[in-house]
Amino acid sequence: MSDPAPNRSAAPQASAAPAQEDSLYAVREKVYVRAVSGLFAKWRWGLVWFTQILFYGLCWVPWNGRQAVLFHLVERKFYIFGWVFWPQDVFFLAILLIISAYALFFFTAIAGRLWCGYACPQTVYTEIFMWIEQKIEGDRNKRMKLDKAGMSGRKVGIKGLKYGAWIALSLWTGFTFVGYFTPIKELVAEALTFSFGPWELFWILFYGAFTYLMAGVMREQVCKYMCPYARFQGVMFDPDTLVITYDNERGDPRGARKKGVDPRAIGKGDCVDCGICVQVCPTGIDIRDGMQYECIGCAACIDACDQVMEKMNYPKGLIRYSTENAVKMHWGMKEILAHVMRPRTLIYGGILTVITIAFLWGLATRSPLRVDIIRDRAALAREVADGYIENAYRLQVMNMTENPRKFVLTLEGADGLRMVGPGTVEVPAATTQAVTVQAQIPYGSLEPGSHAIHLSVAAEDDPAVRVREHTTFIMPQ
Amino acid sequence: MKKMIEVLWPSFLIAGLAEIVFFTVVNPQELYFFGEPVRVSDLATYSIGFFGFWLVCAASSLTTVFFQRGADEINHPERYRDS
Ligand code: SF4
Ligand code: SF4
Repeated sequence: MSDPAPNRSAAPQASAAPAQEDSLYAVREKVYVRAVSGLFAKWRWGLVWFTQILFYGLCWVPWNGRQAVLFHLVERKFYIFGWVFWPQDVFFLAILLIISAYALFFFTAIAGRLWCGYACPQTVYTEIFMWIEQKIEGDRNKRMKLDKAGMSGRKVGIKGLKYGAWIALSLWTGFTFVGYFTPIKELVAEALTFSFGPWELFWILFYGAFTYLMAGVMREQVCKYMCPYARFQGVMFDPDTLVITYDNERGDPRGARKKGVDPRAIGKGDCVDCGICVQVCPTGIDIRDGMQYECIGCAACIDACDQVMEKMNYPKGLIRYSTENAVKMHWGMKEILAHVMRPRTLIYGGILTVITIAFLWGLATRSPLRVDIIRDRAALAREVADGYIENAYRLQVMNMTENPRKFVLTLEGADGLRMVGPGTVEVPAATTQAVTVQAQIPYGSLEPGSHAIHLSVAAEDDPAVRVREHTTFIMPQ
Repeated sequence: MKKMIEVLWPSFLIAGLAEIVFFTVVNPQELYFFGEPVRVSDLATYSIGFFGFWLVCAASSLTTVFFQRGADEINHPERYRDS
């Protein structure tokens, strides 16, 4: 980054070689990814379906007469099925982030960039965008030819169709995204009459454009230059981490040969040097050069190479999931699995388990009632009729459940203490209700000064739902 | 172009973080702007807040990029025109 030299020297080159585009970060050779099928491709697509059905679908699921999953910004409440989270619950959010981080550490230590290869939105959307591209423009060779061809009506038509499909998908994605922050039913109603609020429309377009840019244009550059995880994932690797590996010993020396020829007889390894593993790689690297930080662990090259091996009647797995140690010491799957349990994974796994249990426990015992007491600062104590001294308190009673509830208020902790007012408060579902409570004590029955008293709020239908708050009563001189 | 992304992208990430932290703690209904309660819609407050954070973070990134230039680049800017 600090050294601009490569940029400078590459600039004239870019105009000379049309395959290169002087793209966002460095001079970038456009990657024409060849489509691949096979076991890992199935896994990848399975996860694309899973995550995207979840993403595009979940915002439509109703629950208790509202959207099941909704991060309602205006109400400042997060609804997740039966739960309603308030800004006060930020603690849970923080724990959730820590859990995600440790899960990432854990899985990375065991099997490298599983997240990148199968679950990261960047991978998933790139995959979908590439699928559209492939359906409209044809396979890799056709795409390269099309890009080289001069302008023609056909080219404009095909490209237009592709961009159109991408834009449509991006807009839908943006709409869905905003549908998690404002109720999607309202959005639909607004869409029908095209009367979006300005900011809603803005964010739909913004997120749509973002999706388009990331999955349609930037693609592997996001992983190479923009992703923080890609930069630090290396520190979680050790020689027992499963990564995509090309078996050098078995593959080299590489070279073309006729089918049926025994490679050893002609002094060659198993790699036929067809270059297909490079063509399928979404980041455009050659895995045969060894472990590289650009490799997102998508396993496309495994599928590709296995197909070639099958055609050649060689055993599969010239490129495979393996560990540094396993390759060095010729371990089989059994030894590799035996090394999954090691201090690093045990520590990550242990911490992960403890935090997860604590999180679930916190969630299960989360009180459905919360009370804040605000002392009325303007008038701490005042004299009222029949020789009583009155203190006023403002309560914020939060009913965190989805049913309206009635709460009983009680005061205790001093002789002669009595409460003025109805003594109950009704709080609608998932709302905060403010009530004022007046406590009175006969003048002179307590020393002048501040005295601890307690204020309890309990649900009328379930006395176990109860909050006991500590506060003070001021007795004037 | 590269410099632009170097300025805009990290600031975007951090602005997102700042936005979440800030508005978890602060309710837009309770904000004041030059002593006047903020009167625009909540969604607008969130959005403006985000762009405000982005702007500030981008300014910081820009300063970093600005100070990062080496002596050679300052003495011979014509060699570095490409980005
Ligand atoms: S490198 Fe980053 S952006 Fe790319 S797949 Fe991995 S996590 Fe996603
Ligand atoms: S080298 Fe293989 S696993 Fe790595 S990104 Fe390329 S195709 Fe995917």
